[in-house]
Amino acid sequence: MLEEIQKLKDEATSALASLKSSDDAENFRLQYLSRKGALAQLFEKLKDVPKEKKPALGKSLNELRSFLENEFESSKNNLGGKAATSDGNIDLSIPGRKRYTGRKHPLTQTADEIKRIFTNIGFGIADGPEIEDDYHNFEALNFPPDHPARDMQDTFFVKSEEGKYVLRTHTSGVQVRVMEKNKPPVRVIMPGRVYRNEAISARSYCLFHQVEGLYVDKNVSLAELKGTIAYFAKEFFNEEAKLRFRPSYFPFTEPSAEVDVNCFVCGGKGCKICKYSGWLEIMGCGMVDPNVFKAVKYDENEVSGYAFGMGIERLALLRYGIDDIRLFFENDLRFLNQF
Amino acid sequence: MKISRKWLQQLVDLSGVKDEDIASRLTMLGIEVESYENFAARYDGFVVGAVLEVAKHPNADKLKLCKVDIGGETKSIVCGAPNVAAGQKVPVGLVGAKVPHNQHDPEGKPFQLTRAKIRGIESEGMICSANELGLGDDKSGIMVLDDAAAQGTPLSDYLGLNDTVFEISLTPNRADCLSHLGVARELVSAFSKKFIPRRIKITEDGASITESVKIEVAAQDLCPRYSARLIRKVKVGPSPKWLKGAVESVGIRSINNVVDATNYVMMELGQPLHAFDLNRIAGHKIIVRRPTEDETKFTTLDGKERNISPEMVMICDKEKIVAVGGVMGGMNSEISEDTTEVLIESANFNPSSIRRTSKALGLSTEASYRIERGVDPNLTIRALDRVSEIIAETSGGKLAPGIIDVAAMKFLPKRVELHVDHVNRLLGTRLATGEIIRVLESIEIPCDKKSETVLICSVPTFRGDIERDVDLIEEVGRVYGYEQITDSFQTKLNFDTRFRKSTVLDELRDLLAGAGFNEIMTNSLQSVDVAGFHEPSFVVLANPISEDMAAMRTTLLPGTLQTVGVNLAHGLKDMKLFEIGQVYRVIDEQQVVGRFLESAKISMALSGTADPMSFDRKESKFDIFDLKTEIERVLAFLKLDSWDFISYDTTKEYKQSLKLFVNGTELGLAGKVGKTALQKLSVDQDVYFAELDLTSLLALQKSTNRFRSLPKFPFASIDLSFIVNNQTPAADLMNTLRVAAGDMFRDISVFDIYSGEGIPDGKKSIAFSMVLGSEERTLNEGDIAGFIEKAEKTLKEKFSAELRKQKS
Repeated sequence: MLEEIQKLKDEATSALASLKSSDDAENFRLQYLSRKGALAQLFEKLKDVPKEKKPALGKSLNELRSFLENEFESSKNNLGGKAATSDGNIDLSIPGRKRYTGRKHPLTQTADEIKRIFTNIGFGIADGPEIEDDYHNFEALNFPPDHPARDMQDTFFVKSEEGKYVLRTHTSGVQVRVMEKNKPPVRVIMPGRVYRNEAISARSYCLFHQVEGLYVDKNVSLAELKGTIAYFAKEFFNEEAKLRFRPSYFPFTEPSAEVDVNCFVCGGKGCKICKYSGWLEIMGCGMVDPNVFKAVKYDENEVSGYAFGMGIERLALLRYGIDDIRLFFENDLRFLNQF
Repeated sequence: MKISRKWLQQLVDLSGVKDEDIASRLTMLGIEVESYENFAARYDGFVVGAVLEVAKHPNADKLKLCKVDIGGETKSIVCGAPNVAAGQKVPVGLVGAKVPHNQHDPEGKPFQLTRAKIRGIESEGMICSANELGLGDDKSGIMVLDDAAAQGTPLSDYLGLNDTVFEISLTPNRADCLSHLGVARELVSAFSKKFIPRRIKITEDGASITESVKIEVAAQDLCPRYSARLIRKVKVGPSPKWLKGAVESVGIRSINNVVDATNYVMMELGQPLHAFDLNRIAGHKIIVRRPTEDETKFTTLDGKERNISPEMVMICDKEKIVAVGGVMGGMNSEISEDTTEVLIESANFNPSSIRRTSKALGLSTEASYRIERGVDPNLTIRALDRVSEIIAETSGGKLAPGIIDVAAMKFLPKRVELHVDHVNRLLGTRLATGEIIRVLESIEIPCDKKSETVLICSVPTFRGDIERDVDLIEEVGRVYGYEQITDSFQTKLNFDTRFRKSTVLDELRDLLAGAGFNEIMTNSLQSVDVAGFHEPSFVVLANPISEDMAAMRTTLLPGTLQTVGVNLAHGLKDMKLFEIGQVYRVIDEQQVVGRFLESAKISMALSGTADPMSFDRKESKFDIFDLKTEIERVLAFLKLDSWDFISYDTTKEYKQSLKLFVNGTELGLAGKVGKTALQKLSVDQDVYFAELDLTSLLALQKSTNRFRSLPKFPFASIDLSFIVNNQTPAADLMNTLRVAAGDMFRDISVFDIYSGEGIPDGKKSIAFSMVLGSEERTLNEGDIAGFIEKAEKTLKEKFSAELRKQKS
């Protein structure tokens, strides 16, 4: 009997050492530890041994049982145990298990950064419809019908029998909606998706995103606009960001300006990115045109205001050094996972 | 628009001013210089050569060996052009020169000449075609120069291209700068220079114009001013070199000495002109009118027949239309070699009318471009005199005395009142009255002082864009210099709740990114077929870019599948994607804009491996339950407390489809995407996709949370296992158990499903783990037993379920 006990112990120990899968483990359990397993059978035999030998054999059997059960538990826990050597050491040099690392889209990240900067200095956030009427997209913004300024933006028109609707070409229409509904002072940014009927290329896509800004109050000046944009540029780019305000034209601002930042690639010496000018265009801005105030029934003698509009893609291209706008909408994971 | 420095220098003294300074000052004045090119530098290394002899290349039939004298030195050059011949004068690029245009490169990129062996023979330079030099389209052979050209002359001197050309991008308001005169005005102000005084020299001769021509303007609303001059005894021919060179330098094709003169004056002064052959004008009478109903077709100068309509303005003679006013002349009155009497039109048209006409005809010309932006109505006479001067000089014509000038009114300077404090308030400056006057007068806007702080400014008619005081303030800011205005940053914070925006979408994005999702952004335009398949009433574009982008999207599914396809094509097989985006449809009720309803959706897609293979675990593919996990993650995040998934329509295409219901409203779909949809986008692995109606979910979101006291008594866990029919849904059993537990219910989950040995056919064993608790006390065995009894009974009644075993 003692021999049988020893034999079972040797057999079971070597079987434990070769456990490779949970199936193996279950087989082991059935073979040795289950109610009808080898161990149970030995216990069964205990009935038949002489009384005087029972205590010793019983003790050995019980020891074997607890030994096997313990060994089985730990073997089971180390299953697949390529990481564990036979003496129980774990190879900690193995890298962690691969899991998905999610990321927000680079345009979201860029928009978030813009929102953060402006909300820090007291701007609220508003939005408006992407399918817009001609009035809010153009007329209220001082684009008269049949005016060449409308050529500055290639417009998608919506098929409709009831009116003239467009896919908004800019977020500026939200300015009008905000002022129609709210008395001054107002200070908001208005992020959103806009559309242009342009051929798709590395430099333009049929849609993109803008952040519009508007501040109307008593005595808002061009100097204040310049200071605010300079603050933004320092936060968004870096403290050394230098700006250039060039006179420009937008129907809904007067005076108007285009804002350039000194090229951070070449430091202003001229390179391919800045087309050898040393400057990168980042946004358009200006003082709200009195005709816009008239359209929203603000008293142009009481208040003045500034507005600005920047392209999120444009800023993201500059920020990350991306050379093709289409990458934003292809959603290639090799691209998305870089940000 | 191209502006030539040489041309500018005839108008304003630019001595000592560098090209780069012109470019940067103009840009900072709002006249953006996109680029400029110094042509003398462009043709560095190019000279006039005389071809001495041409021999066959020993190793190539199509190549020739040329000896070319480049002025005291003979070069040996291999040339492949068919037209090269001894005795020609040709443009030669020497080693080191940069050929502006490579005609063998699809993009035409410039290239540098090196000492090269061509089929075994060394070539010491290159004889160039016009195309290679960037001087035209001709690439059939080398460019042959005048016999009189002296070998060794720098090519730029020969071409008269010792000039710098600025490429200017103008905003639509600055019509006044669509000419050299306009740009010169800006430079006079920018560099404190003076115009070069010059008088137009014309001699009138013969009978007055009024004896030969009659002009009637019937549509004065569309044509406020029509002026004309007549030149007799003109000899039409090629333009002299200076005129040809000038118009070509700004990108206009040379036609003949009359047409070139009209274009020259347009580029110099900004006034579009048109030359008619008077002898082809019936009755020698011009009538400016709208077309009659019968007049529906007209053939323009470019040989195209165009449809005209009654609101356009036509230039007509007694019998027919001879030009589309302000846009383009007609073939029937065009200047030809036989023309002797030239009638020059110098007119001012209504800008909106010309713009509409140009759009309707799909025809934009240098003339219409200027007119629709606004041309100075007082320019007509000066332009006529200037063009007459040139035509008389270049074609020997005799100018008929007098001008016919039909004007609706006198065009006077606009008087605009400007308050000094308004200037300073809007710009944020402290400019003195005298400073403002100085600035405005530098751009030819004279100011009278009404008082010490109020000015009356006389805006000349060439600045049609200036109508109001703010327009003048912009001029002050622009010319004074935006960069001179000191930045101010005095943000004051006031309490304002009107523009507070929920940040829940930002948080949702963070949540999903944290859960391993990549955020994607896809096109909101899709094909009519796709949009219509998912939603019958959708938004269609009137002028789409292409068929596959002709409608606004009604679902995020196609964009997501496309993304899956793109990544699979790159060998990336495992992905978790989400998008938050708008969908669009047309509904019956009036919306903010029209009847267009824009609502936000959130999509989630799982494809590939849920749990990538690692050294010790098997990989597992995503399945529908992984998708449900993610949906439930979003719902739980929004603090919704109950929802149902109902499976539906288990057709072949949608094996595992679920509808999400919250409070009885359908708010989303989820499932395994059908094979047909996948195949369209070459996706060859399973994709689990869910799209939820985010706008509605956000409306149901519980925003404020009240704290609930933590449980005082421990919970009890029990496991229950039932044998039920295979078809019985687990969710129904779970709901029943939930109800049976009543107040004690805390949580439930399924931990095992089994059928096979030991379980009767058509049945399954399903095991639940439940958590029970009480607010009042620790649950005792009686409570548990009572619940189990109740559960067993109810499940037996409702589902014929049999309690299998229990473990607590």
